[in-house]
Amino acid sequence: MNGSRHVLDVDGDMPLVWVIRDALSLTGTKFGCGVGVCGACTVLENGKAIRSCQVPAHDAAGRSFLTIEGLSPDVSHPCQRAWLAEDVAQCGFCQPGMIMTACGLLHDHPEPTDEVIDTVMSDSVCRCGTYPRMRKAIRRAAEEMRMKKT
Amino acid sequence: MITSRRRFLKTTALSGASLLIGIDGTRLLHGAQTAAGQFKPNIWIRIDPDESVILTIGRSEMGQGVRTSLAMLLAEELEADWRRIKLVQASPGPDFEDIGTGGSDSIRSSWGSLRQAGAAAREMLATAAAARWQVDRATCTAANSFIIHTPSGRRFGYGTLAGDAAKLPLPKNPPLKNASDYKIIGQRIPRIDGRDIVSGKARYGIDIRIPGMAYASLERPPWIGAKPKRMQEEKARAVRGVRAVVKISKGIAVVADTTWAAIKGRTVLAVEWNDPPPDAFNSGAHAKRLESASRERGVVTRQEKAPPGTGAVAQTIDATYVYPFYAHAPVETMNCVADVQENRCTIWAPTQAPNGLQKQVAQLLGIAPANVQVNVTLIGGGFGRRLAVDYALEAAEISRAAKAPVQLLWSRPDDMKHGHFQAASVHYLSAGFDAKGAPVAWKHTKAGSFHNISPLQPNEVHDVAWYQDWSWGVYDVPYAIPAIETAYVAVDLPVLHGPWRSVFAPSSVFAREGFVDEIAQRCGADPLAFRLDLLKGADTVKAGPVTIDRRRLRRVLEVVRDKSGWGKPVSKGRGRGVACNAYFGHTYIAYVADIAVDHDGNVRVARVIAAVDCGRVINPIGVEQQMEGGIIWGISSALKGEITFRNGAAQQGTYADFEVARMRDTPAIEVHIVNSDAPEPFGMGEPPVPPIVPAIVNAVFAATGKRVRKLPIRPALLLS
Repeated sequence: MNGSRHVLDVDGDMPLVWVIRDALSLTGTKFGCGVGVCGACTVLENGKAIRSCQVPAHDAAGRSFLTIEGLSPDVSHPCQRAWLAEDVAQCGFCQPGMIMTACGLLHDHPEPTDEVIDTVMSDSVCRCGTYPRMRKAIRRAAEEMRMKKT
Repeated sequence: MITSRRRFLKTTALSGASLLIGIDGTRLLHGAQTAAGQFKPNIWIRIDPDESVILTIGRSEMGQGVRTSLAMLLAEELEADWRRIKLVQASPGPDFEDIGTGGSDSIRSSWGSLRQAGAAAREMLATAAAARWQVDRATCTAANSFIIHTPSGRRFGYGTLAGDAAKLPLPKNPPLKNASDYKIIGQRIPRIDGRDIVSGKARYGIDIRIPGMAYASLERPPWIGAKPKRMQEEKARAVRGVRAVVKISKGIAVVADTTWAAIKGRTVLAVEWNDPPPDAFNSGAHAKRLESASRERGVVTRQEKAPPGTGAVAQTIDATYVYPFYAHAPVETMNCVADVQENRCTIWAPTQAPNGLQKQVAQLLGIAPANVQVNVTLIGGGFGRRLAVDYALEAAEISRAAKAPVQLLWSRPDDMKHGHFQAASVHYLSAGFDAKGAPVAWKHTKAGSFHNISPLQPNEVHDVAWYQDWSWGVYDVPYAIPAIETAYVAVDLPVLHGPWRSVFAPSSVFAREGFVDEIAQRCGADPLAFRLDLLKGADTVKAGPVTIDRRRLRRVLEVVRDKSGWGKPVSKGRGRGVACNAYFGHTYIAYVADIAVDHDGNVRVARVIAAVDCGRVINPIGVEQQMEGGIIWGISSALKGEITFRNGAAQQGTYADFEVARMRDTPAIEVHIVNSDAPEPFGMGEPPVPPIVPAIVNAVFAATGKRVRKLPIRPALLLS
């Protein structure tokens, strides 16, 4: 988890979200629904976004994950910067999951179309309605990542 | 209201060298009363020798940006260095007897007092500096947390002066800045909590972890009054990590070492409940009751007789608008950490009502409120749901029974099925036209239900004002129609319901603005021009406690007309609709919505042009965010999920069956903030919600010719 190896004695069927939150005390990853329809618990595995509530501990063993806490030490990840620049957050609760979902999106689609952004991000719920700013932030982050590469 | 400055500002002698000022920030909520003459602070300002400015606020942060905007009000008059302001969340107690968040009231009620307090502190600091330098106060200025002696350039930091300043009396009339001199108010200031949010450091109720804490999951009766028939207690106790199965007044809780063990234990517990009675609550039957009630005379909440010379009613049209139940469905489910020990209790809760929570927990435990420490966390979506304190009472009961600190976490279905729902209502409207076809009479009767959660019980006198308070958006119809009659019919509702973003207004404004469009159509008039016509006449109109400034409503309508290309043709399958509302005569909003309907009858909102006049703008980012969020909230209620009840229970349990808007449902949104004549700020949390649904409904009519009078809009209706 976030580059550290942990040896844990937990139930094999415990979803990864509870391993992260309760066993590892990394509370940036949120619980929202428990059935994979809200995206609040999204973390990264090899750059891809996954729903941590849908991965039981016995499947997670031996794999490597990144949570919001591991994204950058200083809020310097392009998605975090873009989120701040576009003033996305309202209550902020869903935002770690949204940022991790966006990271996964940009991993899979470095130059996403608006349609791809809408499709991928529509698997996640923000009840405050920060979607318009998230759209802008994802475009901004994509641009920054593209500039960095060139 | 603020009656005397002496009442709401107070310094307190504090040991050491800090300056401390308390503010009694007027009332909390509609209907709530503050005892006259009593100092009930809800904000404290403290300036410490280490140069920090600590603002302790009683308002809960739930996405409205209140921590940022309140700090902006203080920093402006205090001339404080923005980066040095620290925010502390207040706990209820003698220093905070009237805290809490609701009614879009935080900024409006703190606007006067917080600036006064900032100015008072600044004056005291300047006087203290002048005394040290033995110079004339008039030669000293304040900037960036320093008092500067202008002629010599000497300066003292605020912290250095705090101890001296604290010994001075509060100035009676500290001068306030002219708006043209504002450096912070009106600026685009990013969220104070922004970095914490995007780094996962922001702590919500669900994130509280205290030593020795157990985790609990609570099985509740599926319908009110249900009794457990059998359960597998032994099996539940045998689940690894389960510590106890405890029975409390609200259900049966499984207490465990981890959240997962509690959830598993509860599943294994497999409580079977007795069958509901045949007359258990059913929302379909309730809608029929509401509809027949809407035909009753009810309590008249406003009556204006047509002036002499008005044409007699020659023809009438009428319509019935049906509004369903909705859940709040915040992404952070209800939760609370409670640590009950002998004669005392500590609570960590994402709550909008800390005082009520403290009192009710104290009552439950039979201890003094002073022995209940309530820590208010960040809130992962409030929307009115967290004015109820049910989850905290449950957590306290479980902690007492389990003899351990406990975090109670509601599952998503718990949250969806045991909400304090937005109540269903039915509206009956009729309009009378004279022989020339001009509208001369308006009638709107709302059949709805009083909230049945505390602490929002209004006073006991059921006078007209009381009924008006249950029918926002009905009695305060802003239009100039010669004869107006509005009424309210109360219908008993035996499931929990309470405030939901914009409370009573959404159903009323849906009905009113839909029906205004029907009248415009009957008159063969353009719906936007027709509204502007109906807003001629007297510039202000008084309805109950509300004064509506029709000029401000006209202006927001004119802005959306001009910015939306109103009147220009839209492409096939599309439609354009308008609606507007004056929220308590405070915040004025108009929308033009462009929608598209596909062959299957699915509606998509393509674009929303919005205009808002909320008086003085504190932070434009906040205004825009609330407008965008309010529009998307309205899209959810217009096009997505509703809550239905069968056998006394809500039938929906997740975001899959109570759907909410997602990014693909999000239109292009353009927010125009209209420069206002009003010098003071008004609320922005609730007002954006009510007029968006009717703007969509009216656009659907423009696109399809189908008049939607029942929410949510379902494809079948548009295909029929």
